[in-house]
Amino acid sequence: MKNNPYMLWGLVIIAFFSCVALLAPWISPLDPSLIDGQNLLMPPSARHWLGTDGLGRDLLSRMIFGARISLSVGIIAVGISIFLGLILGSLAGFYGKYVDALVMRFADIMLCFPTFFLILAIIAIVEPSIYNIMIVIGLTSWMGPARLIRAEIISLKTREFIQAEHALGASDARIIIRHLIPNAIGPVLVNATLGIAGAILLESSLSFLGLGVQPPIPSWGNILIESKSTLGIAWWITIFPGLAILVTILGFNFIAEGLKKIIG
Amino acid sequence: MANLLEVKNLRVDFHLEGRIIHAVEGVDLRLDKNETVVLAGESGSGKTITALAMTRILPPNAKVVSGEVILEGQNLMSLNEKQLSSIRGAKIAYVFQEPTSYLNPVYTIGEQIVEVMIQHQGLARKEAGIKVYELLRQVQINDPDRVFGSYPHQLSGGMNQRVFIAMSLACKPALLIADEPTTSLDVTIEAQILKLLVELKEKMNFSLLFITHNLAIAKKIAGRIYVMYRGKVVEEGPTARIFDKPEHFHTRELIAAYEKIGKL
Repeated sequence: MKNNPYMLWGLVIIAFFSCVALLAPWISPLDPSLIDGQNLLMPPSARHWLGTDGLGRDLLSRMIFGARISLSVGIIAVGISIFLGLILGSLAGFYGKYVDALVMRFADIMLCFPTFFLILAIIAIVEPSIYNIMIVIGLTSWMGPARLIRAEIISLKTREFIQAEHALGASDARIIIRHLIPNAIGPVLVNATLGIAGAILLESSLSFLGLGVQPPIPSWGNILIESKSTLGIAWWITIFPGLAILVTILGFNFIAEGLKKIIG
Repeated sequence: MANLLEVKNLRVDFHLEGRIIHAVEGVDLRLDKNETVVLAGESGSGKTITALAMTRILPPNAKVVSGEVILEGQNLMSLNEKQLSSIRGAKIAYVFQEPTSYLNPVYTIGEQIVEVMIQHQGLARKEAGIKVYELLRQVQINDPDRVFGSYPHQLSGGMNQRVFIAMSLACKPALLIADEPTTSLDVTIEAQILKLLVELKEKMNFSLLFITHNLAIAKKIAGRIYVMYRGKVVEEGPTARIFDKPEHFHTRELIAAYEKIGKL
């Protein structure tokens, strides 16, 4: 860890935000949806450390609860995409031939769509809730992990220890799950940490466009959108959620960088 | 002695960029219970492919064209993939040339052997663990505790070969096919491994099909020798007769090579 400062700082940052998210109900100073008509657009002060928004809600409390939404969207969306990517990628890599052709051409088709507009189109049809966002982001981002895992498995499946497993009578499923995937997972993990950062950003963008997490549930993205109309007079509503997004994504990128170094 | 294995007219073709290469052209072999037979021949003579074809664990571009492999009265070539995988490891086990690359790098030695035992014998994890210690002692590993928790790259080639032998014998196979198991090891270790295989054979009552290009080994361990040349068995007979009156020129070449080294 000492000679891997990226990993260290990445973990520190993500651990910090994860704790904040997990402990939100206990550490947030005020109710995030408590409207206080007396204190609209208050700058940071002793009572409101990060100030208040246009409805007098405490920005710090909203951001603390927003961390829950943003992080869980990131992690679960990437979880879905890795899960799909692992299954499809390993089937394509292991069986090759027409399975490979079918899966990878499908992936190519998916990659042809500009993801963001595809998500917008889907969200326009289904209602924009945080679960739908997670699922849609997951369903539109499995192609990267699938390609990575496929490439790894193609190069691993001819290795001697896999041959040895065949000779010892292991089934295909066993070889894929117990022997190929654990050896192939490294680059996918690096990709996943970057993916989480991307998903958080995507959720923020969607929320910013009003198609993400719906108010009054706070997410970093939809706090940002609310700041748009008061940008000139209340800088804090824009700066702090923006910083939170920036630092979290930086943290995940650091972890990805650190993992890359460890895996070599 | 009772007949254990009979290979009749085995033919294997390789498909290479549209060309068909006859790697094995009608090989007949016979092995009795508890017998040691050597399959000798130069590189590329088809001895490894013959061995792999017996349980159809050939590379994807190779195919058994015709022939029967009869193990204890059952023709393996008529079995489907699933039935065959219950023969692999359980009835016919293999030991290969480069032990370290035939072990999965991400699991400890203990985990790998436990896996095999759970899979084939349906043992509980704990029970399997105890049996693995027994096995490691049987292959004359003096410090099973250390080896159990080590990864393959932490052990020497000779040690890994012992481990691999232990893994192959975990399910008490009737036939062990050793494909040049000592070629990558140095001479003193080679002698130890050979001695170990012969001793284990006596103790555990399996038949040994030993593949080598080194007739010095054949002379030491084999009851009978098959000599392969360009995909065919060109000579077959008891070891003493082969050395006294070699009939085929390739047999004479192999003997000459062995004697030449003796004279150096």
